[in-house]
Amino acid sequence: MEMKKAIWIVVATSVSVVALGYSALTKASASRSNKKVVKISYWHVNAQTQGGQSVETLVKDFNRTHKYIKVTAKYNPNMYQGLMQNLQSAQASGKVPDVVQIGWAYTNYFADNFKYLAPANAQKKFDTKKSFINTTFTKHTLSFAEDDKRNLVGLPYSLSTPVLYYNKTMLSKYGVDPQTLSTWEGVSAAAKKIKEASGNYGLYIQEPGDTWAQQSLILSNGGSIEKKGKASFASSAGVKAYQFYQDMVNKDKTALHTPWAQGVDDFVNGNVAIAYTTVAQASHIKQSVNFDVAASVAPHFEGHKSVVPVGGSMLTITARSITQQKAAWTFEKYMYTNNSLVTWSKGTGYLPPTKSALKSEAFKSYLTENPMLKPASSQLTTAVAWTSFPKSGLDAEQTMIDARDKILSGSDVKSTLKDAQEKINAQQ
Amino acid sequence: MHNNDHKRKLLVTVYLLPTVAILFIFMVIPIIYTFYLSFFDWNLIAPTKKFVGLENYITIFTDSVNRKVLLNTVFYIVLLLALNFILPYFIAIVVQFFIGKMKGPYKVIFFIPSIFSLVVGAMLFSWIMNPVSGPLAIVMKMVGFSLPNWTNSGGMAIVIICLITNWKVFGYNFVLLLTGLGAIPKNLIDATKIDRIPKWRVIWNIVLPLNKSIALYVLILTIVQGLQFVFTPISVITQGGPYYGSSNILYHTYLNAFVLYKTGNASALAMLTFIIFLVLLYAEMKFVEGKSNNYA
Repeated sequence: MEMKKAIWIVVATSVSVVALGYSALTKASASRSNKKVVKISYWHVNAQTQGGQSVETLVKDFNRTHKYIKVTAKYNPNMYQGLMQNLQSAQASGKVPDVVQIGWAYTNYFADNFKYLAPANAQKKFDTKKSFINTTFTKHTLSFAEDDKRNLVGLPYSLSTPVLYYNKTMLSKYGVDPQTLSTWEGVSAAAKKIKEASGNYGLYIQEPGDTWAQQSLILSNGGSIEKKGKASFASSAGVKAYQFYQDMVNKDKTALHTPWAQGVDDFVNGNVAIAYTTVAQASHIKQSVNFDVAASVAPHFEGHKSVVPVGGSMLTITARSITQQKAAWTFEKYMYTNNSLVTWSKGTGYLPPTKSALKSEAFKSYLTENPMLKPASSQLTTAVAWTSFPKSGLDAEQTMIDARDKILSGSDVKSTLKDAQEKINAQQ
Repeated sequence: MHNNDHKRKLLVTVYLLPTVAILFIFMVIPIIYTFYLSFFDWNLIAPTKKFVGLENYITIFTDSVNRKVLLNTVFYIVLLLALNFILPYFIAIVVQFFIGKMKGPYKVIFFIPSIFSLVVGAMLFSWIMNPVSGPLAIVMKMVGFSLPNWTNSGGMAIVIICLITNWKVFGYNFVLLLTGLGAIPKNLIDATKIDRIPKWRVIWNIVLPLNKSIALYVLILTIVQGLQFVFTPISVITQGGPYYGSSNILYHTYLNAFVLYKTGNASALAMLTFIIFLVLLYAEMKFVEGKSNNYA
C-alpha cells in the first residue's frame, strides 16, 4: 500500500516538473523569436454598454498597426472608484498596469499615493520634437489634469459637463418658453408653472455619489468651492445657491429629490419636465423618451456667468520599466489622434479633449446628428477643473455629499454648509 | 497497535492540512491583520501607518454618524427578524399544521425568488417602487393615493430594503423551517389529538420546543446573513443615504474602507461586527450544535 502511494507521488511530481520545464522552454523560445514585442495593459471603466466596444475597437486597431506593442485592455467595474480599488491592490502586489484612466475626483489622491510618469517627462524621454502636449491641448484643458501643486499628472481624456435637458412637449403644452431656462430663476418659474398646471415636478438635479452638479450651482452664482487649498463654498453666494435649491425641493416642492437612476427615469417617463445631469446621459435619454427632448447649456443665477466643473477622466502612465513606459506613451499618442477620439466620443458620449478633434469634420457631423451634445461642447471653454482637495480629498467629497443630503432633508443651509466647510478645512 | 494509532493521527493531520491552510490564509490571518490595522490611521496605500491607539474604537461610539449607523443596524436586525424569521415561521406552521394540501407547490412558489441575484431584485424593486413614475405609484395614483418618497426617509428606505431581502430570503428560511416542522414525530401530534389538546397549546408546548435547534439556526442566519444581504440593495439604491439614514454597520465599513480609504475606522468597525457575530455563533454552537451532540 505505502509503496504504491510513494510511486504515485514520484510519478506525479516528475510529470509536473517535466511539464513546467517544457512550458518554460517554449516561453523562452517564443520571446526569443519576437523579442521586441512589449506587452502593456490598459485599465478602463467602460462597460460594454458604456463605450466598452469602442475601447476594444481602438485597442485592436492599435495592435494591428503597431507590430511590437501588444496592448491588453482590462475593464474595471464600478467606474473610477472601482478602478481605484483595483489599482490599490495592484500596487500592493507590485503588479501594476501601464496606462490607467483616473477620474478627476481622484487626481490628488492618485498623485500623492501612486508612482506615475508625468506626461511632460514622457515627452522629454521619448519624443524628438518636444511639443506634443502643448500643440494638442489648450492650456485650459490641461489645467483639468493638474494636482494641487499644479503638476500635470496625466492627459485629459474624457470630458463631460452637466447640461439642462428639457421635455419640449411638456414645456410647450404649459406655455413655457425654453429661452427662459438660461437662468436658474427662469427654471424655477417654469417649474412652478408646470407644477401648478400639471402636478408634475419641474426639475431634477442629479444626485449621485458626488456633488458635481450642485457645485455648478454655487459656481454659477459667483461662488467658489475651494480657494488656495481651503474650502470656501459656505460663502454668501454658496448659501444663496443652496437655499434656492432647497426652497425648490422643500418649500415649493417643484424640484424632485431622489437618487440618480430614479430621477433620470422620472424625467424619461415624462413626470419631470427638466433634468440637470451629465451630457453622458444624452444617448440614454434620446433612446428612452417618447416626447420631444432637447438640451441647453447649464443655467446661471441672474447677474452671474454659467460655470460648470468638468467631469470625466485623464490617462496616466503607471508603467515602471522604460520599454513599457515608451510603449504606453506611444499608445497614449495613438489614443489622441482625431480618428481615435471621435470613435471614443461616439461610443461613450464624452467630448474629445483635443483642439483638432473638436474641430474635425467627423466630430462636427456627429454633433449635428446629436444636437444635445452641442451645449456641452460649447461649455468646455469656460468649464473649470473638478475640485479635488489637497488632503483627504475623498473624505472632503463625502462631507459635501453629507451636506447636500442634510440640506435637501430640510436642515438649515447656512450652518450646514459652514459646518461642512470647517470639517474639510480642519483636515487641510 | 501503537504504530497504527500513530499512523492514523498522522493521516488525520495530513487530511486536515489543506482545509486548515485555507482557513488560516483566508480567515485567520486577515482577521488578525484587521485587528492590527484597527489601531492605525492609514489610507491603504501610503508607506507609513500612523499609530493612533484606541482612537478608532472611541470614534465608533462618540461620532454621531457612527452612532446613527449602529442604531440603524439594530433597526435592521429587528425588522429582519420580523420579516425573515417570524413571518416565515408563522407561515410554515400554518402550512404544516393547518393546511392539508398543496405543501409541495407552496415550497416551490416561495423558494423561486431566492435563486435570483439580489442586484436584480434591488433594481426591480427600485423600479416598481419608484414613488414618482413606478408602476406601483401609477396604480396608487388611480385610486387617489400617492406613494411617499421613501428614498428621502431613512426609516422608510430601511423598510423597503428589508422587504427586498425578504423577497430573496423568505423562501429559503421557509423551506428550512417547514422541513424542521415535518421532522417532528407524527405520533406525538396524533396523541395530542386523542387527548383533545387545543392546537395553539400543541404548537406552543410541543412543536416550538422540538423545533428549537432549526429555529435558532434560522434565527442566527437571519441576523448574520441578513445584515450582509441588505448590503446589495443599499449599494444599488441608496448608497446609505439620506445622510446615512439607511446605512448599517457592514455598509459603513465598506464605505470607510473602499470609498474613503480610512482603513483604521473600517477595521475597528469590522472588529466590532466580528465580535457581535462571534457572540451569536457561540450561542448557536451552544444551543444548536450542543443539542445534537446530546442526541448522539
